[in-house]
Amino acid sequence: MTPMDSDSHNLSLVHTGTVIEEDSLTLGQLCRACGVHADWVISLVEESIIEPQGEDIRLWRFSGASLIRTRSALRLQRDLGVNLAGIALALDLIEELESLREQLKMLGPT
Amino acid sequence: MQYKDYYKIMGLSRDAKQDEIKRAYRKLARKYHPDVSKEKDAEAKFKELGEAYEVLKDPEKRAAYNQLGADWKAGQDFKPPPNWNEGFEFKGGGFTSGDAGAFSDFFEQLFGHAGFRPADKSRYNVHVRGEDSHAKIHIDLEDSFHGATRNISLSTPEMNAQGQVQVKHRSLNIKIPKGIKAGQHIRLAGQGSPGSGSGQSGDLFLEIAFNNHPLYRVSETDVYLDLPVTPWEAALGAKIKVPTPEGNVDLKIPPNSRQGSKLRLTGRGLPARVPGDFYVVLQIALPPANTGKAKSAYQKMQEELDFNPRQALGV
Repeated sequence: MTPMDSDSHNLSLVHTGTVIEEDSLTLGQLCRACGVHADWVISLVEESIIEPQGEDIRLWRFSGASLIRTRSALRLQRDLGVNLAGIALALDLIEELESLREQLKMLGPT
Repeated sequence: MQYKDYYKIMGLSRDAKQDEIKRAYRKLARKYHPDVSKEKDAEAKFKELGEAYEVLKDPEKRAAYNQLGADWKAGQDFKPPPNWNEGFEFKGGGFTSGDAGAFSDFFEQLFGHAGFRPADKSRYNVHVRGEDSHAKIHIDLEDSFHGATRNISLSTPEMNAQGQVQVKHRSLNIKIPKGIKAGQHIRLAGQGSPGSGSGQSGDLFLEIAFNNHPLYRVSETDVYLDLPVTPWEAALGAKIKVPTPEGNVDLKIPPNSRQGSKLRLTGRGLPARVPGDFYVVLQIALPPANTGKAKSAYQKMQEELDFNPRQALGV
């Protein structure tokens, strides 16, 4: 097969992924998705920065929103040197800000 | 290659003290951090800032950079003078803590290569799973209503055999499942970074966001439409045609509807196990009084109606 052929073959290939529903990520999957250690994720849960479903650590299930928060937390710590309490505060404020911006958008252009 | 003025990027003079540099970085990092900032190009500015700080915070790199001289202008075409860095030793190679893939050609030309080679892991028979990677994609609201196949292009910084960072572009056709919401993720197994040795590739996580729609606004699974109506349609009631993402529907406006009234079409929001609702928000449009006929119609209302919209104000 020439390179051209393989390219056009790839173009017609359609990837079907899986949608991450609420509470579908295990601790291991979340750690791998963010490239972090389980210890650090556990400390995020202890600070209630993310809140898994399930009592026992082995039964923990995280949502897609937790994935977004964990990645933001990682960046805030790495880039700005924010500690866990600061991350919790920053993320809550950022989310509040976003929902206010969203409401502002709902009111339409003024 | 363009010259970068790291002092200008950080808003500092060339004789700034090390602690001033740190303070300037902290302040600007908060301003432009992509998680916090909504400034346009925040991400590009944050990367540029990180690169400037990477050089200026390190006395060795800073001294080497200073040696290039103060006569360069940002954006000017630049070639490093031969042996410009003779006598400088950069500890631990060029990159120390920054996000290497994000740095410019300019940085890389000056500090780039030493100590930043891809580790030849296969030599030690290490089989490591590749890292998971992430991207945000914007889709149209209609894609979620009907399901769709979309072509997305991704760029990933990767290292070549010489240890240089190159941005690799690739495109993927992906299936957008019906009913996907903003903020949800699609996981594509094996589409992340390649593993080393016989290790598997990582996964690719795509975060979904909706493009702004000219007609509709979305909140979770509910969809909103601003619908202009005439004063008589709102006052007398009417049956009017309304666009929805699934085609036009006939909507009954009840008599005595008011400005901003919300009418709900149950289950006509985003499809899901429990589908969202479609809300029509009435916007009463006043006809202009720009003809004799229109004026006399308004005058007639003035004569016939005993209406004081300012009653609650006590006047």
